[in-house]
Amino acid sequence: MVSAGLSVEIGALRLPFPTLMGSGCYGTGAEFAPFADLSRVGAVVLKSLTRKPRLGNAMPRLVHTPAGMLNAIGLQNPGIDWYLEHEMVALAEAPCAMIGSVAGFAVDEYEEVCAKLAARPEIAAIELNISCPNVASEGETFACDPRLTAAVVRAARRVTRKPLIVKLSPNVTGIATIAQHAEAEGADALAVVNTVRGMAIDVDRWQPRLGNVAGGLSGPAIRPIAVLAVYEVARAVRVPIIGQGGIVSTADALEFFLAGASAIGIGTANFFDPRVPERIVAELSAYLAQRGLHDLHEIVGRANVGFASAEQYEGDAG
Amino acid sequence: MAIPPGGAAAAVALGIYDADARDVHLLFVVAGKRTRDLAGLREGETVALAGPLGNGFDLGGVPRDVAIVAGGVGIASVFLAAVALVRVGASVHLYYGARTAAMLVEHERFARAGCEVSLATEDGSAGERGYVTALLERARAPELILACGPTPMLRATAAIAQRMRVPAQLSLEETFACGVGGCWGCVVPIAQSSAQAPHFPPAENGVVHARICREGPVFLAQELRW
Repeated sequence: MVSAGLSVEIGALRLPFPTLMGSGCYGTGAEFAPFADLSRVGAVVLKSLTRKPRLGNAMPRLVHTPAGMLNAIGLQNPGIDWYLEHEMVALAEAPCAMIGSVAGFAVDEYEEVCAKLAARPEIAAIELNISCPNVASEGETFACDPRLTAAVVRAARRVTRKPLIVKLSPNVTGIATIAQHAEAEGADALAVVNTVRGMAIDVDRWQPRLGNVAGGLSGPAIRPIAVLAVYEVARAVRVPIIGQGGIVSTADALEFFLAGASAIGIGTANFFDPRVPERIVAELSAYLAQRGLHDLHEIVGRANVGFASAEQYEGDAG
Repeated sequence: MAIPPGGAAAAVALGIYDADARDVHLLFVVAGKRTRDLAGLREGETVALAGPLGNGFDLGGVPRDVAIVAGGVGIASVFLAAVALVRVGASVHLYYGARTAAMLVEHERFARAGCEVSLATEDGSAGERGYVTALLERARAPELILACGPTPMLRATAAIAQRMRVPAQLSLEETFACGVGGCWGCVVPIAQSSAQAPHFPPAENGVVHARICREGPVFLAQELRW
């Protein structure tokens, strides 16, 4: 199988394809195995695990919106200990790399779950889902504060040498600063971005549509937000970026590579066509051949022309 | 799950209306862009399908007297069960309701297949005026109830089944994302003691969330905690 030029390194982890299936979107991969060739997928990022079991949010948890969807699942998961005891075994035979995802509501929760998960040989790397409220600071979201982000990454870095991916939130004003804090504490890669906060209201019943009221918007609707976030982060850090947010086609993927991503995350697209990741890999190969390129890395960040000057920038904003 | 052409942002979750060795029939109401795209397909065009997904009605034990309650487009999910039951000699009564007569479709097929059919519409334009569950309420208790339709209809059916002390199998409707059990977006609270409850640590109140797409969409009414 020709895949030359598509491999990517995340810390010490080398993936044959630059495609990561987004956490919470792809189960353990097994759910999608009847419809997709997992040996043509770079890695599956598993559903986030927490210290204690979580039943998750009340229904409804999903709302379809124009060019996207809102979700508020509420981190439903059986907790790290149960997971390791009962569900880990299924991962041993996986045809692609399995990346664990850790969520938490306190710094020491991240540390504990990360340590336990990283100790397992089936887990190739760890992604930190830091878009959670910190109970110790009045529910402030870890990912929205550079110091809290740094604290979580530092704690996780203490307990594992496995590649550490930090998933950044777009719901911030200065994503580059937060990215730099994660990098400074030892993140091996940054996933840019998580979902955009949003809400939908049922105008017949005069009620929020989601059981949790607020949710995370994903799908093509958020792609321009994500592309800009990658562009900004790529100018601020040296670690590889996994660009994600509404990627459906190869053209979408190329936007992220050109903005500065070394790999891409695919989430919502799998919901309406599980063949999307495979198709993008095949078409990226064709794209490289067509352009006479040998490696995808040759195009990473190539659209980066900086930003317009301050005067122009303000003018454009109007 | 059917994937409409033209790059819609989500697949359409449909019940299999009818099937044989050669064909699969889908029955749906055009409600938005995705179903409009599907309905716009012409003969010879292709559509991507993933399925069948999830479980179906359990017709084991050869029930002899079955009531089927269908609301609106929920009718699409009960035809194969009705036919299978008639074939093994069961007496099948279809209670079918919709908002208006125009929304009552395909019930003649159930009659031709050997079902007794009773209709209800909210505006009284066909059958009895009111909800279809009112028909079930007045009926003699069957041996088994199967139901598919909007959630309020399913809840009412579950309450009637409980009063009648009759087991009911409900095919639930929900907004789906992945459709294959990967995203946990389409859950329903269920007794952890249920055979359909997913693997989960012992929950405090004995209730966990089952995936409608994976453990369902058909659940036993008495095991739901919704």
